[in-house]
Formats: sequence, C-alpha cells, structure tokens
Amino acid sequence: MLDKCFVEILNYSNCIHPQGKIMVKRSPLYDLQKKIGARFTEFAGFEMPILYTSIKDEHLAVRKLVGLFDVSHMSNVWITGEDAEKLISLVTVEDASRIEDKKSQYTAILRDDGTVIDDTIFMHLGDKYMMIPNAGMDETVTKWINKKAKENNICATAKNVSEDYVILAIQGPKSRDTLQKFTKTDLKTVGFFGCQYANIAGVNCIISHTGYTGELGFELQITPPEKAEDLFYKILDAGKEFGIKPIGLGARDTLRLEKGFILAGNEFKGGRTPLEALMSWTINWDHEFIGKDALLKQKEHGDYERLTSLECIDKGIPRHGCEIQKDGKKIGKVTSGTLSPCLNKGIAMGYAHPDFREKDSILDVIVRDKPIKAKVVKPPFVPKDWAQQH
Amino acid sequence: MADEVRNDLKYTDTHEWLKLTGNAAKVGITDHAQSELTDIVFVELPDVGKEVTKGDELCVVESVKSVSEIYAPISGKIVKINNKLEDTPETVNESPYDDGWLVELEIKDKTEIDNLLDAESYKKTI
Repeated sequence: MLDKCFVEILNYSNCIHPQGKIMVKRSPLYDLQKKIGARFTEFAGFEMPILYTSIKDEHLAVRKLVGLFDVSHMSNVWITGEDAEKLISLVTVEDASRIEDKKSQYTAILRDDGTVIDDTIFMHLGDKYMMIPNAGMDETVTKWINKKAKENNICATAKNVSEDYVILAIQGPKSRDTLQKFTKTDLKTVGFFGCQYANIAGVNCIISHTGYTGELGFELQITPPEKAEDLFYKILDAGKEFGIKPIGLGARDTLRLEKGFILAGNEFKGGRTPLEALMSWTINWDHEFIGKDALLKQKEHGDYERLTSLECIDKGIPRHGCEIQKDGKKIGKVTSGTLSPCLNKGIAMGYAHPDFREKDSILDVIVRDKPIKAKVVKPPFVPKDWAQQH
Repeated sequence: MADEVRNDLKYTDTHEWLKLTGNAAKVGITDHAQSELTDIVFVELPDVGKEVTKGDELCVVESVKSVSEIYAPISGKIVKINNKLEDTPETVNESPYDDGWLVELEIKDKTEIDNLLDAESYKKTI
C-alpha cells in the first residue's frame, strides 16, 4: 500500500537521457533539505521535496504565518539585446512596452495555433528581461524564442541560465516581516509584481513581489547557487518568531489550487488556448503576437470548453483524470484536484463546455466508479481574508 | 522516532495489522504506514456484509496528495466498519492500532493466518 501514487504532482513526463536513462535533476539545496527532513518526489524531471512534516500543516503555515520554498526547478531565461522588448511582445500575449522597469508580468507563450507552450513571468530589469518558464521548459522556451527572433529578424536572444540560479519563495502574511530583517531595501516599496536587484543578508539577488500561493509573498533569484544555502538557513532562523516552516511541493500545489491558479503540466496538457484556460485577462489584444489570429478566430466562434472550478458537496477527493459527468453523461475530465486543507472539502478544476459550467450548477465527479456531487464555483475557492476569519 | 510495532498483532509486508479474537480479525494500518502516508484526510470503507478474498482491495486511504489501497490480509466477510473515520479520518494517524482500526472481518480460512508476519518479522521489513 505504500506504493503511493502522488497522483497530482507526477503528471509530467520524465527527462529521458539520450541513452534512454532517466535523468533526474536535483536542486543545489538537495543535501540541506535532506538534512532537515524533507521527503522527496520527482516532478518535471527534478527530485524535489514534496513535504517536510505534513502537507496540511505546511499549507496552513503559509496561509496564516509564513513558509519558505525552494522552487529552483523553475527555469531562468535571460532575454537580452536591443530588441528584447520587441521579442517578448512577439512571443507572449503581453505588449512588453507597457511593462515599466522594475515591474514583472504574468503571461503566456503560444504556438501559432494559439495553444499554450508555457505560462511564465517576465521581469523588466533595466535593459534586459528575465523570464521564469516552468520546470523542465527551459530548453523548449529558449529554443522557441530564439527561433522566432531569427525568423523575424529581431535583434535579441534568449539564454537559458536555469542552472545558475536558486529560486526561493517566501510566502505568507509574515513574509515581508521575515525578509525585511535582512535588507535595507524598504520592502513596502516593492509593490505587487514589482521586481528589483537587492541585497538580502549580504547576497545579491533579484527580489520580486510575486508568488504562487495567493498570499503576500516574495521570490528571490539567487546566483551563484552556492550562496543560497546560507540564506535558506538564515531565513528559517529569522522567521522562527513568526512560526516559519520549510514547505514542499505538495503544499505548493494545494495552495495554488485553492486560489484557482493553473499548473502548466496539468491545465495545458493536450494543447489548450489561453481563452480555454481562463487567461483572457492576460491577453493584450492591441499588439501583434504569435497565436493572435487563432485566438481571434476561437473567440469569434465562441463554442469552446473552458476551465471550470468545482467544489465537492459529497465527501470524496477528485483527482487528476477523474471524469466529470452531467446526468450520467461524460462532459469533461479533472485536470487538478485535491482536498482543500482550508475548506476541508474536495476541490477540482477541469474543462467543460459552457452549457454545463454556469455558477452553482451541480455536476458529478466520478471517483473510483462512484459519482461525487460537486458545485460549479467561481475561483478562488479560498477567499483572500480566509486567514483572518480562521 | 521509531515506529511502534505491537507484539500482540499479526502483520503483512504491505503494512496492514490484524488483531485476532476468536473467529474475528480487526484490521488496520501500522504506525509505520500512517507515518509514511502523513495526513490522512479520507477513508473509503467497504460495505458491511461484503466478502473479500485475501489480496483484494479492502478500502482506500487518501492523504492530501496520495491515494493508497489497503489490501485484505486474509479472506473473510466484513462484519464491522469503523464509521467514525468518515468524519475523523485523522484518527488513523493519531491512533493506528486502537481507535484508527479500519474493518473487522469474520475469518474464512484460519490457515491463512499462518502466513502472516509476527511482530519481530514485521520489524525487519520496515
């Protein structure tokens, strides 16, 4: 029975080495994490902590206090050159000229047919941009961007520097108080989605007011990686008075799902457009970008499945791949599902046709051949003020 | 902290325990199993009266991120289920050998018990 399937986390395919061997990468902080009790899982070709003590406790620590994540499995790509802004505007749904210096933006990179290659954040740092594609997407995204630069005679290049960086995320209501102890930069001046170079406890890094938890939080890009270990310990120490915990990917996934944030490997699998994935809000229609024509056509046609959020009424936990039914007829599949540690209820996302996804509609999720009643809700599942109420 | 293994129980190498009383056997998962699974948040129990064969799926235990099948350590008829786990599945973590039991079986074939592990043998597997 201990051949547990970490159902949600392991949907990515392994990195296959040219000789056919499975190549698993590790974070530069692997030894440290092992020492402080992490249990590991494989995710997108990386062996990363899934939990330290308990997903539930780690989840609630981030909602109510503060947590420290190593998210070095995420990628780092520099976009440089005189036309860097032009290149980003072409390969993402964002018009990069709108994004001021020291600001970052969440966006999507599309294929010509409008389907999502990856969702990513890019940070505007002076005359260059750093992009943070998903884990295992570094090569794909870098090659794609360079190919498009060449095809369109744009004077800019993408460079994969993922292995040069450790990425730490400090998330939770006490994240700012924890980090402020280490820096002269007034962190209140780093606004939502702000980003800048900063010195944190003597380590030069890029700090951004971003995250994947829906809580107040910051992310640090640290290079060279050797500098991160000491900082990891220092942050844990400084956060002690607030109840800080190291957090694994298990809680990272439940935290994001409670907020209705999509996970590339789950929600884009099989080729979904940003319109289907409810990312329309990220699209800047007033500029030309790859995939725009396809999206305009889809928008005009209107008849396409959309990401739908379900909150279970019956007991039971929907998991990735579970069928969604209406009156016994299959209408979709769960792309992400879990027990919500805050609500203590099953929650899920999946794609459904507009006919079935009106708010408060009742659908069934089939868990081990049994229908579990669930209600269509508008994300987030867990509201912003949840921690104050509980 | 070492996982508790009780001397008065029988075990399987898939981390179930059995407590034998006459013709009945209470079944649960071991302390080692609950600590590996961490937060148990849902237990799906079978119906009373169901007949199971050794090795069949007996019930399902879910943590936040994992789904684990619990297998019937011996054949028999389910005579009782621990209904309390529907509302408090965390009892399996808190009290794996007592309040966190899963089902009670009426033993069909007593010779199957000979194949189960005693406490000493089980300790060697964990």
